[in-house]
Amino acid sequence: MTIASLAQDTIAAGMPLAELYHYLFVAGVLFGLGVIGFLARRNLIIMFLCTEMMFQAAGITLIAFSKYHFNPDGEVFVIFVLTIAAAEAALALALVVLLFRRKETLDASAWAMLKG
Amino acid sequence: MDLLINPVILYVGLAIGALGVLLALPRERVNPQLIGLILAAGGFGAVIIALALRGLDAAGLPNPHYYIFAPIAILSAIRVVTHQQPVYSALYFILTILASSALYLLMGAEFMAFALIIIYAGAILITYLFVIMLATQAPSETEVGALSPYDALAREPLWATIMGFAIVAVLTGMIAQGLPEIRPAGDETDQQMLLAELPGKVLDDLDAKRVFREMERPETEAIGDLYTIDAASRTMTLAVTPEAAGDLLERAEAEDRQIAKLLIGDGTTLADLRAASGAGGSVRLAVAPEVRVTNLDTVGWSLIAGHPLALEIAGVILLMAMLGAVVLARKQIEIGEDEKLARAAELGIHTGPTDQMDSVSGGGASS
Repeated sequence: MTIASLAQDTIAAGMPLAELYHYLFVAGVLFGLGVIGFLARRNLIIMFLCTEMMFQAAGITLIAFSKYHFNPDGEVFVIFVLTIAAAEAALALALVVLLFRRKETLDASAWAMLKG
Repeated sequence: MDLLINPVILYVGLAIGALGVLLALPRERVNPQLIGLILAAGGFGAVIIALALRGLDAAGLPNPHYYIFAPIAILSAIRVVTHQQPVYSALYFILTILASSALYLLMGAEFMAFALIIIYAGAILITYLFVIMLATQAPSETEVGALSPYDALAREPLWATIMGFAIVAVLTGMIAQGLPEIRPAGDETDQQMLLAELPGKVLDDLDAKRVFREMERPETEAIGDLYTIDAASRTMTLAVTPEAAGDLLERAEAEDRQIAKLLIGDGTTLADLRAASGAGGSVRLAVAPEVRVTNLDTVGWSLIAGHPLALEIAGVILLMAMLGAVVLARKQIEIGEDEKLARAAELGIHTGPTDQMDSVSGGGASS
């Protein structure tokens, strides 16, 4: 079975509810793992990596519903999610480099005094 | 009640998964990462198997490859969260991206699947890897490969796991309950209606079948007056000159079965064509069944025709982000007055009156 025929089958048949839920479950677990990573890890870079994972979960959900409703707007929205993720990565990583130069550490709690 | 999944199985599976993640998170002393991983795999696997059994009844099973890629995505995501070395976390995240792009592919979103690999795995994650290498202390002579304390130790792993999995349990549980009430808003035929907007696609196909052998291939811009495509009946109406119609007719009657099929396939008989060739009217061609609106067509059409302003704004956002990153990451160099003077003398810049000096040092400080 080639990739093209796989995709063609999916498109022609539409997506049953139970199948949609399969994908939503994976997206939900990825999102939850992103939340856990963001809360539990102390390395600034890993924290940002976990936000990217939450983006990823949102992307899977958008595509799944886009395919369920036969509406391409969901897929187009994923393009914009990717754009924002790229912009966010560039800015956040620039900030991380800046913070690392100040304190020579990536520990998020090194900046705890910012809470006032 | 017709539930998508038994809530008890869902919550118990998620709880076992949560326990596994909790065990696998980096901590002091004992670090049962392998046990945690196996537990988490078991918990999530149980939920997926339950889903599969339920889908078997409802004939709603995903493509079998789902059962390969979904576990890869989830397990590598757990490794992202739990691995103690940031570089490995980033590499496992690339694996998550690859697995989820495979899921996109299984859902039939080919364009986004490959865009995801190119943009995420190819660009964003490489930036992450660079920054990880840039912003890590060089290992000292005595302890090679030692972990920084902030990597070796998770912050409040218990509460983080409870919070995270409370969110997942509520999300997935609520969706499982509410989902059966959501009906698909469209169907396959809606998507194929887009064919009316894509004359180039139909013309390319006709071109490939050498329908325009003697004629000049029509420009797609002329679609308004010369060609119309009826997406519902999958026919294309072409305005032709008498000579062109005569040529088509000749070939249809003679040897070219492919053209005969296209012409006579839908509503056009040889008699119609003969009449057209006399009067210089129009012929109707059936659109070949292999000409279909693909995922790329729908996404491209929706992006360019549906959201042009958002596309422009996305470009501006990327430009601003690039400028912002350059400004933020630039190294600020503090140069004292004496150094500036020495540097200016070194470069052979005239160090005369002080006001001239200021302009030189002003240029040097900002570099």
